[in-house]
Amino acid sequence: MVVQGYAVAAAVAALCTAACFALLEALALNDLVMVYLVGTLVVALRGRRGPALFSSLLGVLCFNYFFVPPRFTLHVEHSQYVITFVVMFAVALIISHLAVRVRTQAEAAKRAEVVAETERLRSSLLSAVSHELRTPLAAIIGSASTLLQAPPGGSASSKDLLVNIRDEADRLTRLVHNLIETTRLESGAALKKELYPIEDVIGTALERTEKLLAGRRVETDLPENLPLVPVDPVLMELVFVNLIENAVRHAPDAPLDISARERMDGLEVSFADRGPGLKPDELERVFEKFYRASAAPGAGLGLAICKAVVEAHGGAIRAENRPGGGAVFLLTLPRGGAK
Amino acid sequence: MSERRATVLVVDDERAIQRFLRPSLEENGFTVLEASTGRSALELAVARKPDVILLDLSLPDMDGLDVLKRLREWSSAPVIVVSARGQESDKIAGLDRGADDYLTKPFGVEELLARIRVALRHAELAARDPEPVYEHGDLKIDLTLRRVWLSKKEVRLSPLQYTLLAALVRDAGRVVSQKQLMKELWPEGGSTPEALRILVHQTRHRIEDEPVRPRHLKTEPAVGYRLEAPDE
Repeated sequence: MVVQGYAVAAAVAALCTAACFALLEALALNDLVMVYLVGTLVVALRGRRGPALFSSLLGVLCFNYFFVPPRFTLHVEHSQYVITFVVMFAVALIISHLAVRVRTQAEAAKRAEVVAETERLRSSLLSAVSHELRTPLAAIIGSASTLLQAPPGGSASSKDLLVNIRDEADRLTRLVHNLIETTRLESGAALKKELYPIEDVIGTALERTEKLLAGRRVETDLPENLPLVPVDPVLMELVFVNLIENAVRHAPDAPLDISARERMDGLEVSFADRGPGLKPDELERVFEKFYRASAAPGAGLGLAICKAVVEAHGGAIRAENRPGGGAVFLLTLPRGGAK
Repeated sequence: MSERRATVLVVDDERAIQRFLRPSLEENGFTVLEASTGRSALELAVARKPDVILLDLSLPDMDGLDVLKRLREWSSAPVIVVSARGQESDKIAGLDRGADDYLTKPFGVEELLARIRVALRHAELAARDPEPVYEHGDLKIDLTLRRVWLSKKEVRLSPLQYTLLAALVRDAGRVVSQKQLMKELWPEGGSTPEALRILVHQTRHRIEDEPVRPRHLKTEPAVGYRLEAPDE
């Protein structure tokens, strides 16, 4: 890195010298100084003090050696040139000092911005997650304490309360699972990829979300002879569970269509609902962490995890609006070699 | 089932889990023994000879898999391993060391009771010849005739597809690991897990109305497969 800075300074000096040879006819001797000063400015803008100083010195030496008579010696005939050299060196130093400072300040500002961004992300994570954790907990505690106070024997509503406890605990389970898998992915744990029929993985996701789907119509269109794809079955199931949960949340009463097709480079899987669809600016944003479409419930984690998992598999996921209304989530999974 | 109340040994160090397991098991006609350490589990297993052991793998004093290994040195009582999601390798290790089945935490009581009943039925059957005919919903498999019907219509299967079903019928209701199935299907080796997955996939397309939502032949993600327990 350091060596590279000096090498750049030397290269720039060589370039300036070449330029000066070309301009020798057109310019007065003292004007060539400007060319070297520009060179020093370029080096200094890279933001390192050492190479900038080196460039200033090199400029003076090259100017002296190649152009100041007697040429091709470091010897100087007229003392006026000594003043030229001193001024040239001083100007080069000032330029490089200022340029380096501008550069370091810009870098510091950028760093501060990154820190602020991380901080913002962290606090939104905290508020989203804590909200998502507290809501089901509040429902569970509320329902359980109501049941405890109720007269023994139970009533019609006690069954509702029990169902509420179970459903909210299921929701909590899915959230915790999402958080654990995100953390695992972010910590760089390797995927356990093996070749699977996609139907098998979609099937386990459908089974896992049976209660959530609560009898909603799910149409599947999965040709029997689709190629196997290399996936981590646990993570890919999580992707499908999140897409199903997303559809249930945003398109509560509409049917869900799941299909897969073979493509040139692998498999395309589509989850299409008949909900309100997405606004144009939401098509990309839905995959951002903690982004929630139209103030919908949820931590805004599910689709972000989908994206992270699909990309970790070398695939891609995108959202589109569906002709006739609703949203489609399309994911492509590369066929690739397994493992 | 049997006239005598079957005894279930619950090995789990979480009070909260014990608190919900005891009443739900007792209400369903089981006698419940509790152990919160591996050591006390082994002592109770020797002293009381439970009919089923529910073994959580994370115990304070020893590795659950070691408890399983020690148990298997002298006991053939069915063991159902309990562990959390994401610990598929533990489940596979448990099955390899002689566990009969597993349950993933969190689980519901229906699921727990179903597993216990299957485990008890297998222990009972182990002494006798297996039932020659398996029936579950619209699926019927006759092991003596080597024939399969779906909604009373005979299903044509390849020999390998039939072998897969026959292997699963023998363990109906229990999970059968990928490794076990491969040993059964390709005793000389030379096959791959992918070949097994393709075989299951093709078999499903013969015996399931909606293969993506199988009612008979279920996948246990990253572990193996389970053919649902036959109708009572």
